[in-house]
Amino acid sequence: MIEKKLVFTWRLMILAFILPLLLILAIDISISSGIQGFDSEMAFTRFANATLTAYTLCSLVLLGNLFFYGESRNRPLAPLVGMFCATILGIVATIFFIDQGPMLLEDNGSVRAQAIYNIVHMLVSAGAVLVALGVSLGVTFSAITSQKQRSDFLFEEE
Amino acid sequence: MNIRPFDIGMDEMYQALLLFWIPVAVVPLGIWVFLSFANHKEKNIGKFLAFVGFTMVCLSPWTVPSSPSSAAGHLLGAIVGPIVLILIGLYLISFSGNVPVGRLPKSDRKLGVFMNLAGFIWLVGMHWWILTPQLSKGDVNPYWYVFWPTLLLFIASLSSFSAIALLTIGVDRKKEANSIFMLSGLSFLLLFLGLNVDGPLITAELFREHLWLSVADLAGLLVGSLLSILVFAIVIFVYERNLPPPQTISPPTKDELEKVADIVSNHLGGEQE
Repeated sequence: MIEKKLVFTWRLMILAFILPLLLILAIDISISSGIQGFDSEMAFTRFANATLTAYTLCSLVLLGNLFFYGESRNRPLAPLVGMFCATILGIVATIFFIDQGPMLLEDNGSVRAQAIYNIVHMLVSAGAVLVALGVSLGVTFSAITSQKQRSDFLFEEE
Repeated sequence: MNIRPFDIGMDEMYQALLLFWIPVAVVPLGIWVFLSFANHKEKNIGKFLAFVGFTMVCLSPWTVPSSPSSAAGHLLGAIVGPIVLILIGLYLISFSGNVPVGRLPKSDRKLGVFMNLAGFIWLVGMHWWILTPQLSKGDVNPYWYVFWPTLLLFIASLSSFSAIALLTIGVDRKKEANSIFMLSGLSFLLLFLGLNVDGPLITAELFREHLWLSVADLAGLLVGSLLSILVFAIVIFVYERNLPPPQTISPPTKDELEKVADIVSNHLGGEQE
């Protein structure tokens, strides 16, 4: 029997990923004619802080990665210096934008307090993302292994 | 949880550095040492470092109560129980099924399901029951508002993604995809309940506000990470492009070709050995 099958496209995958969020938005909008509890200013502040922090922390991790990339090539300095500059740029941009005033300062009184809060906040968010990834992968794997063993070969009946 | 700090007579900033930030940095360092080295001794050192760092972060609400960051350590201590239960439960369910190697006994499956349920109920009890992580009575840990909506939203999204991926890439995987859709639906249901049903300490309004902030957080996390990966790729690309082309070598001489032909002919026709 030929089974009808969905075709893999990235559009479909992205839609599948954002579907729960779209559904919540749709339900919220239809029930209360608007997104309740959404403060665009606070959301922008959070987005900007998260972007700057994620960029800086991720660059730091990649800088460490570059160190090992150069291991087999007599450790060239050029890419290390390039990535180091990119990381410093992230740190300087974070400090500069937080220092501009209340735009990126949340409930914290100083640039240092906000920067530290951003890092801890990012660690908690990243932790939640990692746990979610573990749970989703674990459930996918257990769903696959829970089914009856399947044969990879089809034997023709003679 | 009743937190009673103990004073060690040190400047608050140094205290936070020594008892929170250095242990935070030691955890990934320990994991890296554990994963990178083949030597048994170094692996043990890595495990030890990660364990000590993790324990010190969990103890930070007592050791550095003056630092607001220690609330993250408090949250870690509060959620480590249910998360470990869920992950071990999933491991037991997965490996007691049809796996070619390392199969566990069938009885482990029941234990896995039980652990999963217990961990899940524990987490739900943190929102709608008395188990909410609190720094002091009635004072909910602020990072719980970050963790819980992000976790639910990301589980719902990732499960939906995995189910569709299984349907499109896999062959005859409808049953499995349905189970994963169930997880996505369950997370979605919890999100929906959180938006409409108050808990004893967390109101639906507060949850709603933090859900949208967690969406902003996730978007920022994605954009920032992608930007840094792009910069990384540009750095590598520019470096590789500026490398001088590899030196060309002169073609083999007649003598060298004859020598090679000799070696090849000596290794042909293995029946002589």
